[in-house]
Formats: sequence, C-alpha cells, structure tokens
Amino acid sequence: MNENGTKRREWVKNAMIVFLTVMLLLTFFSNTIMNYSLPEVAAQYIQSGTITAKIRGTGTVESGDPYNIQAKETRTVESVLVRAGDTVQKGDVLFVLADKESEELKAAQDALESSLLDFELQILSGNVSNSVINNVQSGKVSSVSTYQSQIVAAEAEIEKWEKEIEEIELAISQLNALKGQLSFSTPDTSEEEKKLAEAQAAYEADSYKQAKDKIADLDSKIAECEQVIEKYKPENNPVVGYEEEVSGGNIIYNAVYEVSHDEYLKAVANHSIYVGQKESYQPFVTAEAEENYEKLEKALNEAKTNLTNKQNSVDAQSNSVSVQLTNWNLELTDKQKKLSDATDAKNQLLSDIAAELNLGSKMDRINEQRETIAELQANAMGATIEAPISGTISSIGITAGQDMTAGSTIATMQPEGKGFTMSFSVTNDQAKRLSPGVQAELVNSWRYDDVVVTLSKIKPDTSDPAQKKLLEFTVTGSVVDGQTLNVSVGDKSANYDMIVPNSAIREDNNGKFILIVETKSSPLGNRYKASRVDVEVLASDDTKSAISGAVYGYEFVITTSNKPVEAGQLIRLADQ
Amino acid sequence: MNRFRDFLSARNIVLWISGIVSFLVFLVLYGIAALLSGSQTSQQMAERWSERKDVAQISCFFSPNAAMSPDRIESFRHSLDSALQEASIVQDSPNANARLWADAYSADGQITVSSERARVTADAIGIGGDFFLFHPLQLLSGSYFSESDLNQDYCILDEDAAWQLFGSNNVAGQIVTIGGVPHMVAGVVHREDGRLEEAAGLDSTVIYVSYNTLDALGNNNGINHYEIVMPNPVSEYAYNYVKENIGVTEKEVEVVENSTRYDLPERLKVIADFGTRSMNGKAIIYPYWENIARGYEDIIAAITLFALLFLAYPVALLVIFVVISWKHKTWTAKGIYLHLQDKGERKMEDVREKRLRRKQHKDRFDEEEDLL
Repeated sequence: MNENGTKRREWVKNAMIVFLTVMLLLTFFSNTIMNYSLPEVAAQYIQSGTITAKIRGTGTVESGDPYNIQAKETRTVESVLVRAGDTVQKGDVLFVLADKESEELKAAQDALESSLLDFELQILSGNVSNSVINNVQSGKVSSVSTYQSQIVAAEAEIEKWEKEIEEIELAISQLNALKGQLSFSTPDTSEEEKKLAEAQAAYEADSYKQAKDKIADLDSKIAECEQVIEKYKPENNPVVGYEEEVSGGNIIYNAVYEVSHDEYLKAVANHSIYVGQKESYQPFVTAEAEENYEKLEKALNEAKTNLTNKQNSVDAQSNSVSVQLTNWNLELTDKQKKLSDATDAKNQLLSDIAAELNLGSKMDRINEQRETIAELQANAMGATIEAPISGTISSIGITAGQDMTAGSTIATMQPEGKGFTMSFSVTNDQAKRLSPGVQAELVNSWRYDDVVVTLSKIKPDTSDPAQKKLLEFTVTGSVVDGQTLNVSVGDKSANYDMIVPNSAIREDNNGKFILIVETKSSPLGNRYKASRVDVEVLASDDTKSAISGAVYGYEFVITTSNKPVEAGQLIRLADQ
Repeated sequence: MNRFRDFLSARNIVLWISGIVSFLVFLVLYGIAALLSGSQTSQQMAERWSERKDVAQISCFFSPNAAMSPDRIESFRHSLDSALQEASIVQDSPNANARLWADAYSADGQITVSSERARVTADAIGIGGDFFLFHPLQLLSGSYFSESDLNQDYCILDEDAAWQLFGSNNVAGQIVTIGGVPHMVAGVVHREDGRLEEAAGLDSTVIYVSYNTLDALGNNNGINHYEIVMPNPVSEYAYNYVKENIGVTEKEVEVVENSTRYDLPERLKVIADFGTRSMNGKAIIYPYWENIARGYEDIIAAITLFALLFLAYPVALLVIFVVISWKHKTWTAKGIYLHLQDKGERKMEDVREKRLRRKQHKDRFDEEEDLL
C-alpha cells in the first residue's frame, strides 16, 4: 500500500515539474512565438511634398508644311545628288536627268500633227465661208460682243417680220369671222315682215276681196251644178223601169232612171242655194270697195318689195368682205417669204460664227502645242532638277536609273524655318488637366540636345470624338520627319501636406482608407496594432498620392505586408 | 457501485475512447478545411469589402466565343447602377466617395517587355477595373495600378521578370518598353508557388499590364474573366443578377459565387458531383486563380468527406447509447413526478416547522419582555 502511494506521489511530482517548466518557457517566449504568427508589414511616415500628374504619350513627328517636288515629265534620272536629311539652298541641283527625248515631247509632236490635220479637214469640208477662213488665218477673230450684236440684229429683223405677219393674220381672221357671221345670220327683216303680214292680213280681210272670192267660188260651184243638171236632165235621162217599195202598208212604185236621179236633184237644189248665196254677196262688190281693195293690194306689193330689198342688201355686204380677204391673203404670203429669208440669214450667221470660233480654237491649240514642243525641246538636253526652296530634304522618292513619271512626287522637303508637329490621342480625363502652351518633357531627354516640344492644340479625336481628344504639339530642334518621340506632359504641380505611397491606399465599401500603426507598450515589449483611418485622395501621380482625412500628419502608414492585414489586427514591423 | 463497474467494462471504455478520438479527428479535419478555405485571398473579397454579410463576390469566366469587350462591360456597369437604384440600394456610408460595388476584368495573352539590358516574352494578364483589389498579390516593391488611374501605361512584374530585366526587385518607377511604347513599372509582386499553383498556370513568369496595352501591343486572347463585389441583400441576389445581365449565353460563360463556394452546402455539392466534375462542356480556360480555387475546392471537399465520416462514428455511438439507456431505464415519468412531489411536501413541512419554532421563540421572548 505504501509503495503504491509513493509511486503515485513521485509520478504526480514529476508531472507537475514538467508542466510548470513548459508553462514558464511558453510565458517567456510568448512574444516571440506570437510574433511569428503575425503579419509582417512595411510602413513609413506621412510626408509632405508636391504632386504633378503627368500624362505620357508617344507620337510620330511630321513635317509641319511639307513641300512636294514633282516631276513634270517622264524622264530617266541619271543621278541623285542629295539624301534625306540634307539641307539645301534654293537653286541647288538635286537630280540630273538623262539626255533623252522624253515621252512627253513625242506625245506633244503627235498631238500637233493631228491638230493640224483636223484644222485642214474642217476648212476643206466646204461648209465654211471664205470670209471666215480668212478671218481665222489672219488672226482677226471677232470678239464675243461683236458676235452677239450681229446675232441680235438678225433676230430683230426676224421679229419685225413676225410682228407684221401677226397683224395681217389678225385682220384676216377678223374678216373671216365677219364673213361667217354674215353667211350664218339672217338679216333683221322683222319690221318688213311685220308690215307685210299686216298688209297681207288687211288685204285678206278686205270684204271686197272676200266677197269677190266667195262669188268666184260660188260661180264655179254653180257652173258645176249646171253641168250636172245639163247632164242628167230628164231629157237626157230616161226612165227605164219601176221599183216596188212597201211603205206603210201601201205599195209605192218608184221610177228607176238610167242614171241615178238623186244627183240631178241634188245639183238642182245646190244650184238654187248657190245662186242665193251669190246674191247675198253681191252688195259687197262696189266700186269703192274695189278702190280700197286695190290700195290694199298696192300696199301689200310694196311690203313685199321692201322685204326682198332688205334681203338682197346682205348679199352685197358679203361680197365686199370677200374682196378684202383676198387682198390680205396676198400680203400675207409676201411677208412670210420675207420672214423665211431673214431666218435663213440668221442661221447662216450662226453657223459662220460657230465655224469661226471652232477654227479659231483649233488655231489656238496648234499654236499652244507648237510652244509646248519648243519648251520641251529646250529642256531635252542636259536637264537638271533644282531645289525650288531652301530647306531640308525629308525624303527622296526615286533612285538613279529609275524612270520618274510625270506628276509623281520625287522628293519632299521641309522648308527652312517651318516647324514639325506631333500628335497623339488621350482620354477626356487626361485632356482636362492640360492646357495649350504647356511644355512637354521627353522621356529619355538626355538623348535629345535641343528638341523642344510644346502643346499647341487640343482637338476632338475624329476616331472617337466622345471619349478621346487629340493633343497636337509643335516640335522644334533637330528632329526628322517620321521620328518617334515619347513625351510626358504635366499638369501644374501642387504642394500637399500629406502624401503617402500609392500602395498605402486601400479601399472597401466604406471608401478609401489607410492603415496606421498604433503602438501599445506592454511589460513584454511593444505591441503594434493596425487601425483604419478613412481618407480622401486629392491628387495622385505614378508613385504617391496626396490624402486628406482624420490624420495629423505624423502617422506611421502601412504600405505593404506579407499577409493581408485587417484593421484592428496585431502586426509586427519589418526591420527598418 | 456495481453499475459503475459495469459501466467501466473494457468494451465500453474502448467504445467511448474511440468515439472521442474520432470526434477530435473530425474537429481537426474540419479545422484544416476551414484554414485552407481561409487562405484563398482571391475568394474573400466580400469579407474585405464589408464586415457585414451583405455583399457577395461573383466571378464570370468567358469562352473566346463570347467575344467579351470593354464596351459590354461598361454597359453592364451602367445597367447595374440603375438596377441598384431601382432596388433602393443606396450608399449609407459617411464617406462621400464610397462605392457600392467594385469590379475587375482581365484578358490573358502574351507580351514582350524589353529593358535596356534584356527582353522578356512572357504570359501577360491585361487587367481592367480594380483587379488588384480582388487579387492583393504580395507586393515586394511599388504599388498596384488600376483602370481608374490617369495613365494606362503601367505594368507589374513578378520577381523573375524583374530579375531578368533589371537584376533587382526594387524597380518601381523604371521604364520598360513594350511594342516600342515606354511603360512604367508600377510594382513587383511575388508569384505564388506550390504544386497546385504551378499546375494552375503560375509555372512561368507572369506580367500584368493594362488591357489597352495587351490589346494594342501584345497578343490578346480576349477577355476571359470578369468579377464584381456588389450588395447582396438576399441570398443569390447578386449571383442571379450577374447571371442574367452579363449578356452572354449560358454555353459561353461560367458564373461562380466566390463568397459561398467553400461553405458546407457547396462542399457537399462538390462531393455529389464526383464523377462529373472533371467533365468540360464549355470552351472556357480559367485564369490561374480560378484553377487554384477549384483545386482547393476538390481538396476541401475530400477533407470534409472524411471529416463527416469521422463524425458519423461518434454520433452513431451516441445514438445507440441513448436508445439502449432508454430501453433499460429504471425510472418512469410518474415515479419521478411522485418523487419530486414527495420532496416538495417534505420541504414544505420543514418550512412550516421552522416558522412554528420561530414563532414560539418569539412568543417566549415577548413574554420575557413583558415580565421585565
């Protein structure tokens, strides 16, 4: 029992010793052990200084106002006497051309020949008047105003004739109308007709006449009846038989004649009636009545003649109109002939003028071509091309032995005294910070002795006008066309009290902040803690930023760490 | 005493100890998984951006056929601004310059960088937006740059490139030439190394330039990545918004919610996708950080699986123990109730006695007083 107890006590004692030793070690080295687990940070103090925001860009130098030397004809170059970059004075020989008849000269000679042929063909075509040919050959070509006045005169003549013809035609049409009117319209004979009708009525109504007429009528009837009586009187009309007729219970015997007796009886009756009637009219036939009647008759005749006279008068008028018409028509034809003459004259004039002008221009062209040929011939031998201005050769576009085509640029020059330009595009934000006139620095400026680059213009960039701007610089000094320059253009620099490196600025959804190191001393050494301060970035450049916030200006700001650091965390400082 | 001894039989002890050990192993594995997921800084933008859990980080990865361009990203940003305004999500921070969201995009390609003494042709990542906010690589010198800087001609080298071009790491501010255009070195970063990292694409030098530089002066393979940290008032709000409005068909984009990808449900989903996870149906090449994140997804999922198995054992034991105890219990509910009642009555009696005694004592005292 005792042994067991002793063993147990030994065991407990040993355990306690081991335990306490470990505790002691841990306590003494607790700081070091803890430090190994903390993030290690680099920090530096807030400083004051200046910040200049610089905008960097690269552009190609171009000549400001290049001068292109062009070839005038197609020739072969014998030798090129200058190189790109050479400075030349006005009149210096740049190229020597080979002595060869140029293609232009040949072409010009061919053209002259064809123009001469053309000219002669036109003259001999036959529809050009001699006066015109003489004028042209002697060089006496009238001016445009002379032509114009001639044409105006011819047109005036034509107008005159046309006007006269118009007048005649108007008259003719008027007469025609009149004639038409006469033939269609009936003369106004209403008066005469009325008188005639009255006379006729009176005449008809005259009782004498009526009586006379009636008596005549009756006479003829009486004569008729007498004829019938004579024909069928019983002496001439024998009875041939008797006819039985029953009438009222009696038998009556009627005589039947050869020809019907009724006619005879009727005629006898009528005869007596007519005689009676004639008697009744007889008193109307008196000498006075007869006189009256004759008067009325005469009046009637008068009325009739008046009427016929009136009708004939219209015919006479119609005849005179026809005569007038014939006269006018003759005049019309005459005037029309004159008009056509005038028109022909004008046409002839126009064609003459045209021919004159045409030939005149052909003559001019021939003269020009003769001049060109003379010029080219003068240039054919031993020609050189000289510098038209003083300046620097930017580039040569041709080598010795090559043919240069007329119109092509064989060299470009930068005129003396004119500057170079350079441009590149930047974003709107960058352009906002710049203003024209500011001078740009060259990156690697020690390479360039005397090059000065100045911002001259800020323009919208056509390739992206909403987002970009084009910066234009003027460049002076020893640069050449096509050289690339890297420049940085700066804002105005400003002083700030609180400046930290860019790596010190952090951000989360509460804005930008910095972490500063707070020191707490403890019995076992200094403890460092990271704490957060919200800041606002006022300006920044490539390496540092100016801040403002709840900082005094002497804080120790955490820049980098080997593990992510959060605000409130314990940290350890890297060895400074 | 007997029961206690029964309880301490060998078999029970073994079971108990193995259960506890298994539980401890589960805790350890779970802890390791948590540690691994916590080490992925590129997936933790949401926590860096806001302490409250109301933001989410969403990443999209595009295939080259999607033909993503900075213009489309710009229009997405504008649509997001108006959508947030419509949803009445406004900035309530005291700082006037605080932003509701931050984004970044990148394209990969190749670029040739020359300094005065050397030239390096390397993989390049052309960045836009605030790329380094999302990927806070360890800076050895200098600082980061972003799309909102005044000049876009910065580049960030890794240590290898800095060594080749200059011979030192402290080269922030030096000028290098890319395609004939001078660029300024903004900083030098440390390139992660490790088995996963090298397989993910970090096996050779990487140079970070602005997207404009890569497009104009290098070989641009197209924008293949866009990510954003934005308000997430309800779960999946940000994820759904980005998926619907990014303007690319589902076949050409992969959308991932970084802030929840290592949570337990997502890990279980990775375990469930076992077998189909290696299949690739979209022509998308992931940038190196996404490859690393996916590698860790696999590892964490495997660890979680084992952890759960180790958890299952003690849980099963516990359940069996409870069931057996219940079956063999010697007490009933009624018995306990009566026991408690009994105890209560006894307590009441005690209290009554005490009170009576005190009263008697007091009466006697009063009597004595009266007598005095």
